[in-house]
Amino acid sequence: MERSQKSHRSRQSGPSARKKSDTDKKKRDITEEKKQNPKAFAFNSTVKAKRLQSRASEKEQRRLHIPTVDRTTGEPAPYVILVHGPPQVGKSLLIKSLIKHYTKHNISEVKGPITIVSGKQRRLQFVECPNDINGMIDAAKFADLALLLIDGSYGFEMETFEFLNIMQVHGFPKVMGVLTHLDEFKDVKKLKKTKQRLKHRFWTEIYDGAKLFYLSGLIHGKYVKREIHNLARFISVMKFHPLSWRTSHPYVLVDRFEDVTPPDKIFTNKKCDRNVTVYGYLRGCNMKKGTKVHIAGVGDYNVAGLTGLADPCPLPSVAKKKGLRDKEKLFYAPMSGVGDLLYDKYAVYVNINDHLVQYSKVGDDDTSRKGTEKDVGVDLVKSLHNTKYTVDEKLNKSSINLFSQKSYNLKETTDSDDEDHVKPDNFIEPMEELDNVGSDDESDDSEESGSPKSKDNKRTRGENKVEEEREFHEGRIRRKAVFGSESGDQEASEEEEETENDNSNSESSSSDEEEEDEEEEEHDIEENLGNASKWKESLLERTKSRKTTNLMQLVDEKKKSSKGLGGDEVNGDGSSKFTNYASTKDWKEGEIIESIRDRFVTGDWSKAAQRAKAAETENENDDADVFGEFEDLETGEKHEGDKTGDSNKDIDSAVEERRLKKLALRAKFDAQFNGSESPDEDDDKNHKGKDKGQANEVSFIEKLKEEAELQRQRNIAELDDLDEITRLDIEGYRTGTYLRLEIHNVPYEMVEHFDPFHPILVGGIGLTEDNVGYMQTRFKRHRWHKKVLKNKDPIIVSIGWRRYQTLPVYAIEDVNGRHRMLKYTPEHMHCLAVFWGPLAPPNTGVVAVQNLSNNQSSFRITATAVVLEFNHAAKIVKKIKLVGEPCKIYKKTALIKKMFTSDLEVARFEGASIRTVSGIRGQVKKAGKIELGNKPKKKGGQPEEGIARCTFEDKILMSDIVFLRAWTQVDVPCFYNPLTTALQPRGETWRGVRTVGELRRNLNLPIPDNKDSHYKPIERPLKKFNPIVVPKSLQASLPFRSKPKLAKSKKDGRAVVPEPHERDVHKLVQHLQLIRHNKAKQQKLKKQEQKKKHDVQKAKEEVVTKKRQREERRDRYRTQDKLQKKMRRE
Amino acid sequence: MKEVSYKKLKGSQNLRQRLLLSTLSSTPILIEDIRADATWPGLLSHEVSFLRLLETVSDDCHLEINETGTKLKYKPGIVMGGRYLEHDCGLSRSIGYFLEPLIVLCLFGKKPLSIKLKGITNDSKDPSVDTFRSTTLPLLKRFGVPSDGLELKIESRGVAPKGGGEVTLSVPIIHNSLKAVTWTDEGMVKRIRGISFSTRVSVQFENTMIHAARGIFNRLLPDVHIFTDHKAGAQAGNSPGYGISLVAETTSGCFISVDTTISYPRGNDDMDIDEKKELMPPGEVGEEIASLLLGEIEQGGVIDSTHQGLLFLLCALCPQDVSKVRVGKLVPYGIQTLRNIKDFLGVNFVIKPEPATGTVMLKCTGSGLTNLSRKLS
Repeated sequence: MERSQKSHRSRQSGPSARKKSDTDKKKRDITEEKKQNPKAFAFNSTVKAKRLQSRASEKEQRRLHIPTVDRTTGEPAPYVILVHGPPQVGKSLLIKSLIKHYTKHNISEVKGPITIVSGKQRRLQFVECPNDINGMIDAAKFADLALLLIDGSYGFEMETFEFLNIMQVHGFPKVMGVLTHLDEFKDVKKLKKTKQRLKHRFWTEIYDGAKLFYLSGLIHGKYVKREIHNLARFISVMKFHPLSWRTSHPYVLVDRFEDVTPPDKIFTNKKCDRNVTVYGYLRGCNMKKGTKVHIAGVGDYNVAGLTGLADPCPLPSVAKKKGLRDKEKLFYAPMSGVGDLLYDKYAVYVNINDHLVQYSKVGDDDTSRKGTEKDVGVDLVKSLHNTKYTVDEKLNKSSINLFSQKSYNLKETTDSDDEDHVKPDNFIEPMEELDNVGSDDESDDSEESGSPKSKDNKRTRGENKVEEEREFHEGRIRRKAVFGSESGDQEASEEEEETENDNSNSESSSSDEEEEDEEEEEHDIEENLGNASKWKESLLERTKSRKTTNLMQLVDEKKKSSKGLGGDEVNGDGSSKFTNYASTKDWKEGEIIESIRDRFVTGDWSKAAQRAKAAETENENDDADVFGEFEDLETGEKHEGDKTGDSNKDIDSAVEERRLKKLALRAKFDAQFNGSESPDEDDDKNHKGKDKGQANEVSFIEKLKEEAELQRQRNIAELDDLDEITRLDIEGYRTGTYLRLEIHNVPYEMVEHFDPFHPILVGGIGLTEDNVGYMQTRFKRHRWHKKVLKNKDPIIVSIGWRRYQTLPVYAIEDVNGRHRMLKYTPEHMHCLAVFWGPLAPPNTGVVAVQNLSNNQSSFRITATAVVLEFNHAAKIVKKIKLVGEPCKIYKKTALIKKMFTSDLEVARFEGASIRTVSGIRGQVKKAGKIELGNKPKKKGGQPEEGIARCTFEDKILMSDIVFLRAWTQVDVPCFYNPLTTALQPRGETWRGVRTVGELRRNLNLPIPDNKDSHYKPIERPLKKFNPIVVPKSLQASLPFRSKPKLAKSKKDGRAVVPEPHERDVHKLVQHLQLIRHNKAKQQKLKKQEQKKKHDVQKAKEEVVTKKRQREERRDRYRTQDKLQKKMRRE
Repeated sequence: MKEVSYKKLKGSQNLRQRLLLSTLSSTPILIEDIRADATWPGLLSHEVSFLRLLETVSDDCHLEINETGTKLKYKPGIVMGGRYLEHDCGLSRSIGYFLEPLIVLCLFGKKPLSIKLKGITNDSKDPSVDTFRSTTLPLLKRFGVPSDGLELKIESRGVAPKGGGEVTLSVPIIHNSLKAVTWTDEGMVKRIRGISFSTRVSVQFENTMIHAARGIFNRLLPDVHIFTDHKAGAQAGNSPGYGISLVAETTSGCFISVDTTISYPRGNDDMDIDEKKELMPPGEVGEEIASLLLGEIEQGGVIDSTHQGLLFLLCALCPQDVSKVRVGKLVPYGIQTLRNIKDFLGVNFVIKPEPATGTVMLKCTGSGLTNLSRKLS
């Protein structure tokens, strides 16, 4: 029986229908939604449109960043997820929950960084931020993502804001807020409100739409699994942007710390300087040997030993599968003591928990209890299973390649015993002395030649330097050469190197006759390699590879040549000019000319092209020979059979080329994709429009991006060409390598007060950054800091990796470029701060704090700044007023005393302008001569020094005060005090230089009170001048006009008596005026009264009108409404 | 406050380069045994002059020389640059000796430099100022040095022994860092240019030189232009002499140059002019210089052997990207430069010869030096 199936009825309403219609619209590219009032958004003002456009373009520009060349290669180091928050907010619990989520392990305590593998491509390192401000500052410098935990039930605390400010200064890493303690809200509405409030506050601090997570509460003492899962997902998709300081400086977040001082030294002196090793992933940029490092809270040190170790927490091997296997969910936390394996330079430590150790003892001793014994055994095996797996994993990792290679070797070459020179390519050779690369090559070479003697040599040479690790593998013992050298025997090995290289040296000593040299060498090699036929390579090519090392050696052997051949021999005068008169040929001859014809455009272009090509293929072949060992690994190509090799090589190169191109394309696409992905997603559409509008700018950025990408691909291609040792040599340890740094002579306190809860940051120092000098910074007091800052009051600054206390001098730049000292920082304004300290490059952020103690409630960030430049001299000036008084006055010249203390000083100020209080301007001329009034008070006494002869524009008085206004240099104190917080118990507050205020408070000193500085009401007694008396004789000679006259006063004392008629008239006039005034007054009063009345009347009427109008309106609206309702109903 | 740790070096060689690298990497150096066993021990006058020049362009550098001049303590300061500076280079070495380090140093200064240098402009020992203009400045441009403000102006010429020349050098500063180069294509020579000069001698000398040089080039290339620069009066300096500087430009924009100068040797002023030994006639000079240029071209490489050191230095000063260059045979000066670079900047070069072309390929990652002394605007 067949029943027709009911046809599908799609939803006509509800969410699914809406969704469908939405997608449908999107497909048809209809985005216009029904708007409430489309007219309101219509185009109606060109000015506004222009303004909008310019704003949009400005926003667009702000979005753009100058692309930087990404120089990281290989696997990135684990990303540091820093969990920060005030105490008791649930930081450790969050880390524990996340680790449980990732690895299914419970950890009891979060001590130090914990590294885990979170995905196939990603590792994470969880760090808990210490609660003190020093720890926070350091943590902000290494965090890739900061999870800011906020107690939802309490609200934001100062720590969060302080940390945000610190991060903003030291490059802003990614930030995500996490609200905890939300289960303390019983009222849902209140909870919602609080969330909303906190979210918006968080947004104002970071940016609108910053992610804030909510952890609703605890279940069985853990966060809810689902929420942790979500959080983990957010972390896993997080993108990390390069921060400029970090990409230019290598740094290591220490996850393992060991004291390697010889025990007898400690025994004899407990407080001796220690040697320590620190371990951690290298981040930032590549680290070369000889880089100086700064250990935060300790100081600057030279790295005594730098070694790359095998990754303790490697990413899973690339295989096509989805997700991570449980076995690959590794984690590594040596400070917490949970990673069971520790890899040192030449040893592997397996940590076994105490209770397990005891079990095994029980098993060994109590043979009587058979049942239990067996159980214990099983337990043991099981417990060891985990750890063993990791070992296996390691071995597999390291030997898969080895094995495959070896099998090829076994099959295809009969050469069996050259394990020593086969280097696994994914293994970083634990080599201590890179200087010896040359010598190693040498020894390798000689080994290749198969002479047993050289092998012996190597063994004896490496007495204590080379250790062997024997592993039983594939049915035979494999020995891996592991270099365990201490830097102590570096000298010895160097000497050896010299003796070893003696031969080649004597050959190559005459560097100006290279040609002959090469030939000689060729012969030499031929002799040496007479029985090197095993390799079945043409001698020519052997020599080529040989020559490479020789050329490099020639450059390396510095001491030799400068002694033996005496650098002065050829170029004693250090001239760069090199004219090879010796080898000049007779260029008039036709043949010789023809020989270089192809180097000219008049020659054969195709031949030149061929020449270039030949060079390239030659190059390729060269590669194949020199680095054949590992090139072969990938292709599985034979050592013998040159031709097949070559053809393979060609194909290989083509393939390689294509691969590179693809990579570049892909990277470019990725970059574009990332670029168009704006932080606010809804903007996406607009951007496309803008892109067209601003094609120029965008294309410029695109060009830059492309260039950066091209450079990156070029770097990768060039570096991949090299073998591991050379690569290490020229580019240093790559980022992502697990490094072991040995540092000598650190204070014993560092070991004594080492606290795993405070992660150690080791940062590399750039070329000039260990010098000290004056730094000029653009400085602004933080708006939340309560007081203004006083000049030369100590502040603690954090610049680059360092933290130190210093005494800044504040200044401001005047319009004429003068830097004028300020006594206090200005309000709401930037100023300059100049201080002395280790230099940091311009554009580095600075954060300043004044108080380090934990138990203060106010905001601790004092100021933020940015370094403008550094200099060896600080030019800051302040005003100075020199005050003097005349001691002798001539016509317009006066001798001024008390202004200067010596004639020398006067000489310094010759020509300076001066002024009297009354405003007469003048100039300093010269030091006063003795005969000019500067007579010694008593005869025979010394003439007074420092009297200056000055001229004025007018004659001055003896009572005048003369002053000179000048600028004087302010010295910036040459003082800085590194914060050694790691050398004291972490709980203690570090104490440095105290401010003057603090000193006064602590020592109970009063504020010095200078009476002259008091403000008093100014009393100016009226100056009484004597009447001018003109001498009679002068009067007589004056013209009449200027003669003093007997002026008669206008008012003479006589009374005026009017006539009776006059009196009447005056009276009448007065009466009439009075009447008029009265009348006017009355009229005015009347008018006022009338106006009042009128106003009252008007107000009354208005009230009535308003009432009426309201009634009318109400009626109208009611009817309208009714009408509308009616219409709607219809 | 902080004691200075000096890098200890020995001997007189490479003093110029050591001082340059010491300033760039701001490592204080202490050089001992400067010509301790020589008849004239200690620093020579041109070396002292160079130290004075360093003091002129930089701020707060400390110099200490012991009494015999065999020991030198140098603590570099900050390169300031600045305008309207002047320096008398003396007569023992030509201006080229001072220009070479100065142009690299002042790229990393606080302000653009313009300095007037007095002394010998052309010399057979050091690269002449003409070569600087034609080859060295374009070389700098390749590394991303802005071209405006990079200039060398020859005010007057002066040859040994009495000098009297004057040049004005202006060098811009770089705002961040140089640019790494991949420069391996030497191309084919498309034109040859040159400039000849004569001071206090007849212009006929120049014409003879040019004629002789052209005679050799004509069989290879038609595009040869050699300009004359006959100086007279005050612009001609104090001594008679003549010389020529040739530069070959290739299709890929490489410049290969050689130069030479003929003048009376230094130090025998007391002798009469008749007693002085014969100078090389201009015809031979022309031929010789032409064959030298051909020799340089034959070697291959993107730069002539004189500029190798500068090229390596610039590569090492680049950001941490890979630079790749091809040069002809390594010359001793280049090798010493490589050593010094390794000493001071820690930059190693991978050196790979290419027997097919007889050239050497060099690769390095730069030291990542940025211009730290510049002011943030």
